[in-house]
Amino acid sequence: MSASTATAPARGLRAPARGTLLGYLLLLPAVAVIVLLVIVPMAVIARQSFALSDPLLGGTMGGFTWDNYAKLFDPVYAKTMGYSLGLAALNAAVCLVVGYLLAFYISTRPANRQPVLLMLVIIPFLTDFLVRTFAWITLLGSGGPYVRIARALGFDASSLVPSQFAVIMSLLYAFLPVAVFPIYASMRAIDPSLREAASDLGAGWWQTHRRIFIPLSATGIGSSIMLTFVPTLGVFVIPVLLGGGKDPLVGNLIVTLFTEFRNEPMGAAMSMVVLVLMLASVAVITGLLRLLSIRSNRRAA
Amino acid sequence: MDRVVAWFCRLVFVFLYVPIVAVVVYSFNASEVSYRFTGLTTHWYSDLFHDDRLLATLRTSIVVGVLAALVATAIGFLTAFSLARFQVKGRAFFLGAILIPLIVPEIVIGVSLLEVFSSIGMQTGILTLVLGHIVITLPLATLVQMGAMAALDPSLSEAATDLGATGWITFRRVLFPLLRPSVLAAFLLSFTTSFSNIVISTFTSGVGSTTLPLRIYSSLRTGLTPELNALGTLLVLFTLVVIFLVGVRQMRRILA
Repeated sequence: MSASTATAPARGLRAPARGTLLGYLLLLPAVAVIVLLVIVPMAVIARQSFALSDPLLGGTMGGFTWDNYAKLFDPVYAKTMGYSLGLAALNAAVCLVVGYLLAFYISTRPANRQPVLLMLVIIPFLTDFLVRTFAWITLLGSGGPYVRIARALGFDASSLVPSQFAVIMSLLYAFLPVAVFPIYASMRAIDPSLREAASDLGAGWWQTHRRIFIPLSATGIGSSIMLTFVPTLGVFVIPVLLGGGKDPLVGNLIVTLFTEFRNEPMGAAMSMVVLVLMLASVAVITGLLRLLSIRSNRRAA
Repeated sequence: MDRVVAWFCRLVFVFLYVPIVAVVVYSFNASEVSYRFTGLTTHWYSDLFHDDRLLATLRTSIVVGVLAALVATAIGFLTAFSLARFQVKGRAFFLGAILIPLIVPEIVIGVSLLEVFSSIGMQTGILTLVLGHIVITLPLATLVQMGAMAALDPSLSEAATDLGATGWITFRRVLFPLLRPSVLAAFLLSFTTSFSNIVISTFTSGVGSTTLPLRIYSSLRTGLTPELNALGTLLVLFTLVVIFLVGVRQMRRILA
């Protein structure tokens, strides 16, 4: 998932240039999967998002209309859209700050302790998503540890499920590891002597980070935002289980439109919005990163 | 300030484990009503093994997971091998294409698959689940195996060639045995990803092909039961076993 593994040129297995045809043949199955099960389906969804919906039977009637996109501005949809974007931004921001600090902390530990600490982040990450979600019902629900501890301390506490707080906590819990990994990957590549140099030259904590660590880990920071912001919009389990379904996210709306209302064109339009936002975030982040590297090259020159 | 960060990070580690520990602890809680802790019991575990409907969904998840992981690992191996060994033009393009499912939000992949399956009149069931899960596991399987191939010492295959081994013999006798751990790692990670998937399964499962996560989700909507904590504990245990088998080094290669 890290950019470093993805773009590093392979060293280990280089073969002579002959046999390149075999190379293409070996790629065929993967290309088939991507084309038939990702590209074509997304094209179908794009088409559906402009189709008329059948008001009686559900499903699509073909045709071409902008109505589905126009309806996104209806208060019902616009409200969910706005709320989702706000919550996603909040989640991405918290994940980024906490993830950055954690990645920095791990990358500055002795080399032999780093794998252990990284493993401590990987274990929750690979634990079943639903288990990680319902754990918060146990923790914050009625009669759970939170209520009991708060009451023992003399507070008048009651169950926090359903609540927005529970939604935010479990979103953070679900997305934090994904935010840590890419930042850690770029932190690990930073020369540790830079830190000493900065403090020898009298830079404070904030200055060291602003001038050295944040710019040098910018790629990881960018990936971390990409992996948390838009994906939060598509979450549908957490708002139902911990938010009581009162404040749906875009993901809930998509599921409902497809499985309950059978208004496929509308659901397709919503999915396209998520997809376009994702592409936009990738474009903006890579653009900003390029700008940053041009700027720093100019400064160096 | 560094000391403040260090303390903060220790708290974050606590935050990462409190929920998991709570699930494990409450799975042994004797009290059925609410979460009053009244003593220890293991009978939620034995209840699990007598829940036939649950076991049926477990079987579905295992079948889907094994099939999807087998296909993803095999295709991922071919892809990684091609990209690592041959001078394919447009390498970055192919790699980028294979990583698309990591970038596109799962829900978009899920609904678009549903649309395609229904537009060609394909009944949702085991097959559609497997196809959907192949999409999301293929990038992982490819990355794990590509990382291992990039780390191989190139002189090994050169030595084999110098000693007169043909391309196929070199592959079968030298390269593949060295790559076997990464093939296993790719399989296990793909299986875990498929086994715990809920988003793709929501759109690609049919009547009679409910997966375990779908079943957990629908019972959670009516409330959390002690059995679910017991099941959760077993799933945590399963995760630990997988991580142990895959090994830290392999995990690090794909994640960080």
